[in-house]
Amino acid sequence: MAANPVTESGLDLSWLNLYDEPTSAVPGKKGLTLKEINLGKYADDRRGLGDMTYRTRGAIPRPGAQRFGPNYQKKADVWSENCVMLYEEATQRQWSSARDIPWETLEALPDEIERAMCQLCTMLTEVEFIAGDVPGQWMPFVSAQDFEAGLFLMSQIMDEARHTDVFRKRALANGGGLLAQGAGLGLRTLIEARDFTEMSVLMHVQAEGFVQSMFRMGELIGQTDADKRIFRMSAQDESRHLAFGVMHLKYVLDTEPDRREEIHHYLDKAEGDAAGGGSGDVTFPPVFESLCLLLGGGADKFDEGLQKFLLLRKRQINEYVHRLGVAGLGDRRDRLGPLMAQFLDPA
Amino acid sequence: MSTGEALARAREGSQVPQDARDKARELGWDDDLIDLAVEKGHSLAIIWQALKGGVTGAQAKEFLVHGQSAAPRDFSWMKVPTEWGIRAKAADPALGLAIGDLNVGTYGDIPDVWTNRSEIARGSYPNPLNEDMGYTIFEKAVVWADCCVPLYEDAIRDRWVSATDLNWAGLEALPGDLEKAVCQFMTEQSERAYFVGALWSGWLPDISYGFLELKLFLSTVIYDLARHSEAFRKRALSNCGGLGLQAPTDYSRVAQEARSFIELAAVLFVQDSMLYTLFSQGDQFAQNDLERQMYQLVAKDRARMRQYHVERLKHFLFKTPDRRGEQDLYFARAEAKMVKDWGDSAVWEPLAILLGGGRDKIAQGQAKLQELRKLQVQNYVQDLKDATFTRTHLNGRMKDMLA
Repeated sequence: MAANPVTESGLDLSWLNLYDEPTSAVPGKKGLTLKEINLGKYADDRRGLGDMTYRTRGAIPRPGAQRFGPNYQKKADVWSENCVMLYEEATQRQWSSARDIPWETLEALPDEIERAMCQLCTMLTEVEFIAGDVPGQWMPFVSAQDFEAGLFLMSQIMDEARHTDVFRKRALANGGGLLAQGAGLGLRTLIEARDFTEMSVLMHVQAEGFVQSMFRMGELIGQTDADKRIFRMSAQDESRHLAFGVMHLKYVLDTEPDRREEIHHYLDKAEGDAAGGGSGDVTFPPVFESLCLLLGGGADKFDEGLQKFLLLRKRQINEYVHRLGVAGLGDRRDRLGPLMAQFLDPA
Repeated sequence: MSTGEALARAREGSQVPQDARDKARELGWDDDLIDLAVEKGHSLAIIWQALKGGVTGAQAKEFLVHGQSAAPRDFSWMKVPTEWGIRAKAADPALGLAIGDLNVGTYGDIPDVWTNRSEIARGSYPNPLNEDMGYTIFEKAVVWADCCVPLYEDAIRDRWVSATDLNWAGLEALPGDLEKAVCQFMTEQSERAYFVGALWSGWLPDISYGFLELKLFLSTVIYDLARHSEAFRKRALSNCGGLGLQAPTDYSRVAQEARSFIELAAVLFVQDSMLYTLFSQGDQFAQNDLERQMYQLVAKDRARMRQYHVERLKHFLFKTPDRRGEQDLYFARAEAKMVKDWGDSAVWEPLAILLGGGRDKIAQGQAKLQELRKLQVQNYVQDLKDATFTRTHLNGRMKDMLA
């Protein structure tokens, strides 16, 4: 269809003749969500070939449309079956670090405990900062044919911004401050990924999984109601990111089983000598020691904290392996890197 | 086999790998100290952690003699020389603890040039050695606008949800030509919003932590654009219509082609200013309450983007007056392509139909569109002026629109 052929009257109006399938999505219980408009020729299962433009799925191609550079052409490259639902959940569950955290409940803590909390928050604000950059890096490569995956990543960018800000706020709100920078913590691995699935497995499944396991122990780590709520709210967001990653991996393994070894290869590298991206490397004293202090309740209860810390690591690793199993990579259990394997329960 | 692997294997047999013993000797541990630690119930993992953490023989002995664990415990991170004793308070209790409230003492010092190439949080104590994380933007003048600090919290406060905040159930059938015009407009705007969201996203990894608040604000912009994209798509698919012809690509390609953040911001200034005016005039072309409300919400979001552009440009020009002329080049390219897009029949005809009230009133609609375009250009020129920039060679067709 030509966009611009001027008729005698000076009008074209040919765009009026493009509607061959009148569509009327009906709101569901949760309003008019992406699920309700995922219908007819606009549905993800009617996805056509991508064309390297930003034409969203179902729109009529424009003759002469310029390409915008390479992006993924196959659905499996970026798709996750739950991204439609997860995006809407993200919009419903946005929260405000300014107003939804009971900052007034913060109370003066023993110096060593406050310092430990501030050190943990210093590490976390760094981790979350990278966690926003990483999906940003991949957005231009997500085809608009799979725009729901793109929308989800954009919601994740917002979530990570909030996490970056809330941990900074916590460090600066209770008589403390920021402390020592993290030691990389495997964050470079996330930025170095050169494939969306590689990135997603490392960030969504591994790194965010570890962070999620940590946040879910927030009741033990947090010393005040505000701290506990920060971990609870953040964990809720991390659950979505993690769910996206698990289901993306599942989609890849279901539809492109020949990629299994390639994915193992990424994990072999990431699990190598590191404790896992974003998890807080156990050999990095500021993270390890601050967690032990918080979990134990003080320097004099450090060993008690250490035992809980080891439980945390155990939980992180076992949940990680479980999630990989849900995604269809159950055989990872037998290939897990040694620094992780030591915490793995028997099958 | 790495020591870690050896340890993992040894775990089952409780045999201490030679690598660990070698490392222990290197650190001055007595030969029997590892065995003593094992006897005291410390796992091989913990012992290896202590070795890797550089615990000396004397320290290890001290720990074990006193019945403590062999884990390293130096707490030196507690004593790093960062500013301590910060108790940020909400300046506006109704808004809560905002990121602006954190900018106290050295934590509020946003440097003109940020030098750290890692992801270090501004104000924390740097590691002596860091890998380069690949950031490319280290100059405050390039990205910064003071307004990004309050705008971030405003964006969060003003969030809306297309699924539930718009009354979809109240949509009523429109005459076919009007519905198709709505759908064509939505198709174009959904694509434009999605594209710009992806574009901004791709620039995030370039911006260093020195300008944290700006990155946070841009994250809200990206999220706003995601919401606009899906809201427009929902409207196109909810009232007996569908998606129409994809958007023209000329303007968007210019944005995509930007070689620097400065160029990108200049190019997007043009569209963001124009779209703010367009949506703030949404009452003129809305066909029902849902669209009216949607355009108002979109305009509110876009007002923040517009404010950022104006203040960023103003700040940039103040800091780098020698680059004033260069901006003209970017504006000229963007204006030319925007005007080209505006001349596309699938762009202007739907608007003319909506403004006129039907296909049979497209002539009246065209007249209204002319007025609307005039207002868009007027506001755009004013936005530039507010940023202390006078456009000396405004695009000729835009100039005609002002007549």
